[in-house]
Amino acid sequence: TPRYATPSIPSRTQPARTPGNVLEEARARLHVSSVPESLPCREQEFQDIYSFVESKIIDGTGGCMYISGVPGTGKTATVHEVIRSLQQAAEQDEIPQFRFIEINGMKMTDPHQAYVQILQKLSDQKATPDHAAALLEKRFSNPAPKKETTVLLVDELDLLWTRKQNVMYNLFDWPTRRHARLVVLTIANTMDLPERIMINRVASRLGLTRMSFQPYSFKQLQQIITSRLNRVKAFEEDALQLVSRKVAALSGDARRCLDICRRATEICEHDASDKNTTGLVNMSHVMAALDEMFSSSYITAISCASVQEQLFLRAVITEFRRLGLEEATFQQVFLQHQALCRVEGLQPLSVSEGLAVCQRLGSSRLLLLEPSRLDVLLRVRLNVSQDDVLYALKTD
Amino acid sequence: MSKRKSRETHMTSGECVSQVQRILRERFCHQGLPEKPVGLDSQYKHLLELLKRTAVHGESNSILIVGPRGTGKTMLLSCVLRELMDINEVQKNLLQVYLNGLLQTDDRIALREITRQLNLENVVGDKVFGSFAENLGFLLEALRKGDRGSSQPVLFVLDEFDLFAHHKNQTLLYNLLDVSQSAQAPVAVVGLTCRLDVLELLEKRVKSRFSHRQILVASSLTFGQYLDNVRSQLSLPQDFPDARFGQEWNDSVAKLCEDKSVEEILQKQFNSSKDFRSLHLLLLLALSRVNVSSPTLRAVDLLEASRLCTVDAKANMLHGLSILELCLIISMKHLNDIYDGEPFNFQMVHNEYKKFIQRKSNSVHNYEKPVILKAFEHLLQLELIKLVDGSSSKTQREYQLVRLLLDHGQIMEALQRYPQCPTDVKQWAVSSLA
Repeated sequence: TPRYATPSIPSRTQPARTPGNVLEEARARLHVSSVPESLPCREQEFQDIYSFVESKIIDGTGGCMYISGVPGTGKTATVHEVIRSLQQAAEQDEIPQFRFIEINGMKMTDPHQAYVQILQKLSDQKATPDHAAALLEKRFSNPAPKKETTVLLVDELDLLWTRKQNVMYNLFDWPTRRHARLVVLTIANTMDLPERIMINRVASRLGLTRMSFQPYSFKQLQQIITSRLNRVKAFEEDALQLVSRKVAALSGDARRCLDICRRATEICEHDASDKNTTGLVNMSHVMAALDEMFSSSYITAISCASVQEQLFLRAVITEFRRLGLEEATFQQVFLQHQALCRVEGLQPLSVSEGLAVCQRLGSSRLLLLEPSRLDVLLRVRLNVSQDDVLYALKTD
Repeated sequence: MSKRKSRETHMTSGECVSQVQRILRERFCHQGLPEKPVGLDSQYKHLLELLKRTAVHGESNSILIVGPRGTGKTMLLSCVLRELMDINEVQKNLLQVYLNGLLQTDDRIALREITRQLNLENVVGDKVFGSFAENLGFLLEALRKGDRGSSQPVLFVLDEFDLFAHHKNQTLLYNLLDVSQSAQAPVAVVGLTCRLDVLELLEKRVKSRFSHRQILVASSLTFGQYLDNVRSQLSLPQDFPDARFGQEWNDSVAKLCEDKSVEEILQKQFNSSKDFRSLHLLLLLALSRVNVSSPTLRAVDLLEASRLCTVDAKANMLHGLSILELCLIISMKHLNDIYDGEPFNFQMVHNEYKKFIQRKSNSVHNYEKPVILKAFEHLLQLELIKLVDGSSSKTQREYQLVRLLLDHGQIMEALQRYPQCPTDVKQWAVSSLA
């Protein structure tokens, strides 16, 4: 019966190919999924979280910690690493045994599902959210079985917000119970989340043990890539520096950095098949990859648009200049469009065709439009800056 | 030539025409795949390499294919998949899941669809068991257990990707992209969308997990290439049963494409939009005029088809109005001219109309007020005029403010073409003061 089905993806008939050359090897190492053994540049954070959890486990008490930082700064990876080394320590009997449970706010359909998942991971029971909450309440009010500490990692905490905030309240209230022996680590993106969305009694239970992960600087990003590559010589030094400087200037997201490097190896491979170059990823490859991933596609889209569409965009700008506003009705723009058509020596369009042109531009979001049932009275705005449009129109 | 023989050729020509209709209709309506996408070589290569790496090496990837409507995004993907599926190793291993933002309108439905298409173990027959939360848990568990080397790669195709970004919390996107960024079963997430600003719709954490690879599909065709494409679209294949007819048809198509008037029509079509869907519509309309009595495609057919395609919808509606309704529209146009586009109500229109009647003192068009109101409401129903603040307002009908949804040029043109339009009405339309 489906009730006892085992979740699995069918396995391959032939095993996947392993990397054949240097570039493929580098690509496999650079993939975001291959998290390295030890994370470079997060030693301080690692130490802080480690000593926090370790002290709680040794003392047999409970506590909460709030970890924040923009996406791609290594929050979840660091916590996982802490847990890994704690588990190693526990195996060698340096610290008492503990249990690790992980839930993710984005991976559940409803905040109350948190209870169900925690209970299932704690004791393999299936229950409805209400029942699970009651069972967990009982479990944490009484002394923990075998005096074992439980470490609970709550990722994407902001998704657990409900109007009454009872899920959050419970999560932070259980560790304060006398014999619960629960350590809760919470992760979210914004630093001021507790002050912003939590009511007082929830925020006060979360406590003041906070930690924020700063975005990576360019040196750190460079170090991350080098440590990932781990003596596989596939990149030139300058190329690495360019990537890390560019990403650090924009977001400091390590994922982005790795993705760009991976794309650069692809471009390099593509080039190498044409003519025999050194086989190393150099500046030009990295530049191409950066262009591809950071440049906006608006300008290409405008220069690839049809003549009438380009003319309509020009009419929009002309009308904006005339009005001195950033908004005009279709009727006004259409008058300009017809005038421009005559100047260009094209046959003027009928209103229906003009509307079709306008809607096409709207569907690819070069223009922002009101709903089309307003017909000729619908208001038109540009979604791109006027300079971009003029630049794109001039180059052809 | 004997009588019998001529009848025979006539018979086959009927069959030939129906064959031509069948082949070309299939090409235009069913969007058959071409041998290789035109002018998209680098994009094709990029996508093929990426999907091949997922299928063969088990590397997880995500990519977005962006481009205006009708430029061949789905065509590009299908062509790539067709070539990919020829590789034996891929054919046996790749699992495919197709989702469409218009069908899978929320995550619950999308998740059931994924589970069904992957045929996981909680599927019996065609039915998926378990609640939404259980389904999500089951799918994530299944993907988490897989690994790069041994489990089958899954290709997720998300058509109308921007609609998935409107789902609550973007749970589905987060989870799919998270799988593609962590050491789990290898997946490739391919999104197709026409919105250029699709990345701005994604939440921060979802965006961070997306690999930011984008393929922009925009046709940079020149008119010459466009013309070549039209020719090849209209040409019959080599294996056409009646070789002589096929040759004649192809010759006539080649001649047609060199015709000046045809070129003009196509140039106009090309100017207004480069997408192939509108071109197919034009060619289909022209093709439907081919029959036994005129077995080749002529320039006239294309001209007629183009006229049908570019006709103004509002102008057609104006032709069907009565003289009284037309008079009301003219008085509305005058009100628009005088008060510079301010909204007006029935009373104002009525007054304007009365002034016209009095001045001309021509009793032919002198109607009672209720009749005029009726005409006014008819215009409202045709949506040639539109209420300013919805139909729900409590003001009396005569005093509700409306706006005219017609262009100045449209009205004047319709008046010129209106069958037997009275001269005084025409004159009145020209000058708002007289």
